[in-house]
Amino acid sequence: MATKLSRRELLKIASASAAVVGSGLIPGLRIFAAPAGQDKITLTFQEDEKQYTDVIAAWNEKYPNITIQFVNVTGVDHAEVATKILAMLAAGQPVNIGYAATEATQLYAGEGLAAPLTQRVQDSKADLTEYFSDVSPVLVNTDLYNGDLYQLPRDFNAANMYFNTALLKEAGLEMPKEDWTKDDFEQYAKAMTGLGDAKDTFGYGWTNRLWGSWTPWFFVNDTNLLTEAQADGGDWLWSTFYADDPNAKGFKGGPLWPAPQANNPKMLEALEFVVSLTTNKYTPAVDLGGGGTLQGFFQSGKLGMTPGGGFWSGGLIQAGMKKGDFDVQYWPKWVTQRHQLGVGAAWLLDGGDNSDQAWEFIKFNTQKEIMEKIGFFGELTTTTPVRRSMNDEKRYSTSGPANWHVFYDTLDKLPDTAAIPAPKFSIQETDIYTRYTALAVTGQSTPKDALDGMQNELTALYAANP
Amino acid sequence: MASNTVRIPAPAPNRNRVVRFLSADTLAGIQRQKAILGYLFILPAVIGLLVFVFGPMLGAFALSFFKWNVFKPPSFIGVANFTRLFADPRVFVVFKNTFILVIMTIAMLEVLGLALALGVYRLTNRLLATFFRTAYFLPVLLSGAAVAVTLGYLFNQDFGVINYYLGVIGIAPIPWLSSTNIVLFTIAITTVWRNVGFTFIIYLGGLTSLPSEVLEAAEVDGATGIQKFLRITLPLLSPTILFASVTDIIKMLQFFDEPNIMTHGGPGDASRTVVMLMRDTAFGAQDFGYGSAIALALFAVIMVVTAFQFYMSRRWVFYK
Repeated sequence: MATKLSRRELLKIASASAAVVGSGLIPGLRIFAAPAGQDKITLTFQEDEKQYTDVIAAWNEKYPNITIQFVNVTGVDHAEVATKILAMLAAGQPVNIGYAATEATQLYAGEGLAAPLTQRVQDSKADLTEYFSDVSPVLVNTDLYNGDLYQLPRDFNAANMYFNTALLKEAGLEMPKEDWTKDDFEQYAKAMTGLGDAKDTFGYGWTNRLWGSWTPWFFVNDTNLLTEAQADGGDWLWSTFYADDPNAKGFKGGPLWPAPQANNPKMLEALEFVVSLTTNKYTPAVDLGGGGTLQGFFQSGKLGMTPGGGFWSGGLIQAGMKKGDFDVQYWPKWVTQRHQLGVGAAWLLDGGDNSDQAWEFIKFNTQKEIMEKIGFFGELTTTTPVRRSMNDEKRYSTSGPANWHVFYDTLDKLPDTAAIPAPKFSIQETDIYTRYTALAVTGQSTPKDALDGMQNELTALYAANP
Repeated sequence: MASNTVRIPAPAPNRNRVVRFLSADTLAGIQRQKAILGYLFILPAVIGLLVFVFGPMLGAFALSFFKWNVFKPPSFIGVANFTRLFADPRVFVVFKNTFILVIMTIAMLEVLGLALALGVYRLTNRLLATFFRTAYFLPVLLSGAAVAVTLGYLFNQDFGVINYYLGVIGIAPIPWLSSTNIVLFTIAITTVWRNVGFTFIIYLGGLTSLPSEVLEAAEVDGATGIQKFLRITLPLLSPTILFASVTDIIKMLQFFDEPNIMTHGGPGDASRTVVMLMRDTAFGAQDFGYGSAIALALFAVIMVVTAFQFYMSRRWVFYK
């Protein structure tokens, strides 16, 4: 049957087609669209498939009709990963289950991307009691936002101090004691600087970012980049799972950082100390990013000390070091010995498809025997498991360090350890923090001017995000 | 009875209007067929342009009037993003950085590219010419990210090979990537190392297509090498120079890979470019409206610079 099209009709069709094409350009909110129900379900999980091979085998045995599809997102640090995920979502590529480190927890929760798990956790009390009993409350507190739990922690890293044992030996030093101080640290840094035939070693190196940067120094100087508070709520969690845990005292509805305080005197003192390490040549030029450069220098015996968490033990072995080539100790004491940490965990897409099944997958991964199958916790530990019972001698038998117990003791024995300051707008906060830090440590600005500039921009950021 | 009647062909069956329109029986029909074939050939490219170039451009233009952070529906804010753009000191800094990088890289690219092309053009040994052509072009094939990472290591102030050898001859370590005064130069030479091969190939192509009779006539008239270069080669090469400089400037105004990987824009904003700020604003700060406004500002600048180049070209470009 022939159909005649008038020019006007043709234009209408062309316009409609253009609109359809055009709508694809701004697809943002279509991530929440749900496809029709189906017997066989596929869930998309933002993670590295290689790390989950054994987990998926176990999952498929139990849930043969639910396929897990992986989308791996990498970046030099967690802020960059979050940036890429947002770009992915903006392009209309949804995930059922995401993975977020502390840098992005409040962003996803605060913007309604991640679903609160509170009700689901309460309904699964029987399944999760054993899990929570094995996980430090500070890790769980980090994943609370305004009284609701948004993630079930999988791994964490607190910034401890790594030592290159060959350089320690060359400097005639022993591993420091647990209660070593900032002054001891300075002596260690000095002693390990300028060693070797080429006299090209440095006592201490660090990377310019939010976690493990100079953040540990202002933590031990009893201050923070942002003021700290606890949101209301959360009693449902603490009274149910942590009623008898003294370390859970004081926790409420999750961390809040109500205001910036970048240029307070203690922050200035901490930054001046860090800058003095560079001025005294104990520290090489400071890099921005994920620490890959530092790892190379540490591994090749050019660096004596550097901040690192449990993830570094496996990473250093992968980079060619041997067990015994490095060891770890708490961060040195200054005013306090308070450590900083970041937690990583899966989150559930709010309003996504098949959320019951996705929750089942998240819960499945909290079981100890399943967690043991995650590649990160294999023979080489490339991030620290949140379960206390998984941090044992056997875990670090291949990689070391000898002082491995420091990783979890940082949570249990130093209970004032807290999350890095990462509010909803932590990506912008990190950008401001690293930009001004770089100006100070490269001598392009005085520490005071850098912190004043940082404070001004953070104040404007808070004003724009009430 | 025999019939003398002439058989008149039966009228053509009632053919479809479209078939008649495209009939190969008439000249107009054949021309129409050719035209339609032509349109069909360019259709894939046109669709690609509409969907991947003009569509996103229109999308970015529309978004620049909205506040949108992916999570919530866009809200119309009029020209607020553009007002903010003109008052934002970081925008001024990144445009300044980008222009400095463009000036440095273009100067080096064009001079070095032409010099290398002239050198290879004059080589009489074909094997050597092939070797140098390949060697100079090879970096263009490398990933920008890989080059930036590797050169980042080489330029490391404390552990880099470059400072090591400078140290051997008594020069103090240079803060290649951590000084606000030097960082742009470091990025420029990294970029030139990777891109000069492309400019070189364009110039080499231009040189090989120069009419030899003009040069031979100049030789007969006793012109020196420099006179031939300045009075004949350069003017004849001017369309190639225009093409190379226009494409290089457009590319360099969109500087991203090297500073993003080598310095992340630092120290501070000392090596941040417009595209980096646009990316950080849109995807980092989830401010897609403002990010789009920055993108449009860059687009306008590229348009103006390119138009200016073409306007000025009337004074120095000679077409045979």
